[in-house]
Amino acid sequence: MAFDANTLRAQFPILQLEANDHPLVYLDNAATTQKPQAVLDALMAYYTTSNANVHRGAHYLSDRATAQFEHARDRVARFINAADSNHVIWTKGTTEAINLVAYGLEWCLKPDDEILITSLEHHANLVPWQQLAFRTGARLRVLPLTSKGEWEPEYERYFNDHTRIFACTQISNAIGVKTPIKEMLAAAKAVKAFTLVDGAQAVAHYPVDVQDLDCDFYVFSGHKMYGPTGIGVLYGKPHALEVLTPVQTGGEMVRHVTYNSTEFNVLPYRLEAGTPNIEGVIGMTAACDFLANQDRTAMIEWEQKLARYVYDELKFNTSIEIYSPATDTTVVSLSVPGIHTLDLNGYLDSQGVAVRAGSHCAHPLMAQLGVSSTLRASFACYNTLSEARRFCDVLIEAIEILGDD
Amino acid sequence: MTDLTRDAIQTRLQACTSKEATFKELVSLSKQLERLTDADKTEENRVKGCESAVWLIEHQDNGVCTFQADSDAKLMRGVLMVILSLVNGHSKAELQQRDLVAELSQFNLSSYLTSSRTNGVLSVLKKVQN
Repeated sequence: MAFDANTLRAQFPILQLEANDHPLVYLDNAATTQKPQAVLDALMAYYTTSNANVHRGAHYLSDRATAQFEHARDRVARFINAADSNHVIWTKGTTEAINLVAYGLEWCLKPDDEILITSLEHHANLVPWQQLAFRTGARLRVLPLTSKGEWEPEYERYFNDHTRIFACTQISNAIGVKTPIKEMLAAAKAVKAFTLVDGAQAVAHYPVDVQDLDCDFYVFSGHKMYGPTGIGVLYGKPHALEVLTPVQTGGEMVRHVTYNSTEFNVLPYRLEAGTPNIEGVIGMTAACDFLANQDRTAMIEWEQKLARYVYDELKFNTSIEIYSPATDTTVVSLSVPGIHTLDLNGYLDSQGVAVRAGSHCAHPLMAQLGVSSTLRASFACYNTLSEARRFCDVLIEAIEILGDD
Repeated sequence: MTDLTRDAIQTRLQACTSKEATFKELVSLSKQLERLTDADKTEENRVKGCESAVWLIEHQDNGVCTFQADSDAKLMRGVLMVILSLVNGHSKAELQQRDLVAELSQFNLSSYLTSSRTNGVLSVLKKVQN
């Protein structure tokens, strides 16, 4: 399979838009990716040919919807190489998936237990654990990874007999650096901690193999991998999912109910109360197919090449500080000391260039970097070299306009 | 404060027909804002709810309010120039009766007052009226 971003772009209608009288240059892909026509078609087809509630059988449309809904579960299971589709729980996104685990494991924590995260986490993989610690008296501990994602042998001491849960991102959303996930998971497993991997920033770029990672839980969002918004996945090993207390109860997740008792349904339904986001789930099939149809190796090489181009263009500019690594990333996160990132963002936006300025939901990491915010350009498969060049040119213009006083 | 009147600022901003033009106008306006000293940038003077850091100080003289404001972001300093042109030289009672949000919306800034930033601007207007 040959990979050609210019050909691929044609599958994304939104990329033809102009923004503020300029061709849209969409480099905010770490926040959300755009959707290919196949995903849009799947959503429309669901409503025009199959709309009905799922798992209630009883009629033609419901059977169709249920079949497509469960087919999507199979498809996602295959996409992440889960051993069984029942290990895939639908959520509304990464954040909900992490919260399901943080609440679902509350029973197993007591004072003096430890929950371990790293210093590269998104707030979504920090606040639920912090609040869990507050509720149970457990301690939240933070493994101090550097901004280069470096792992030190001395970090082993963070994993100890008190460590009950280890939660870590695979890739930092704010600066795009990979974490030494396998080494950390090995250390966590050695002390028999539950392990959760936040794959939100990984799924669009790298093939994911949950059995190879061997984590208890793996979580991600559909909208960051060319799929619909409002759908996400909690993958879990069966023993790990089994011990989660259902956070939400109600319809669909029960077998039998009396006024005095409820018998819960089996997995995965036990953790999916209420009518699910059926269109989102069905859209996930199209998103997985879209990615599976690409030459994934060529695709990630292309995305990294774009980030490397920007890095190389800007690295000798003395007014720019870059926080992302030079290689092995799809993100360039930077700041210009003396110029607010919101101002840089304002000028880029006026030229049609969409990036993200802010703390990227990672206040502690920003503090570690010594900044209050960064400007983040994040690449996806449909971005081109001319877009990468345009970002650099407009950024330099912005610095000239904003830096003259 | 400078001598730029509300009408002059409004005319300049309304003449902007692109986002780039508005951006440059706000940057230009920002240069005329009298900056606060570091000593005035206290937590008490800080306006909460803004994406950038914003400080607002109020002075009253014979019932007439004069505000000074500053931000670490230039676009916000440009917007603060607009706000100060609206609110300086009026009594508190008068300010409290006016619909400052509606007045600000006449400055052709809607694309800059995005929701999160609008929230910041709303916080400034609220602090002016309190």
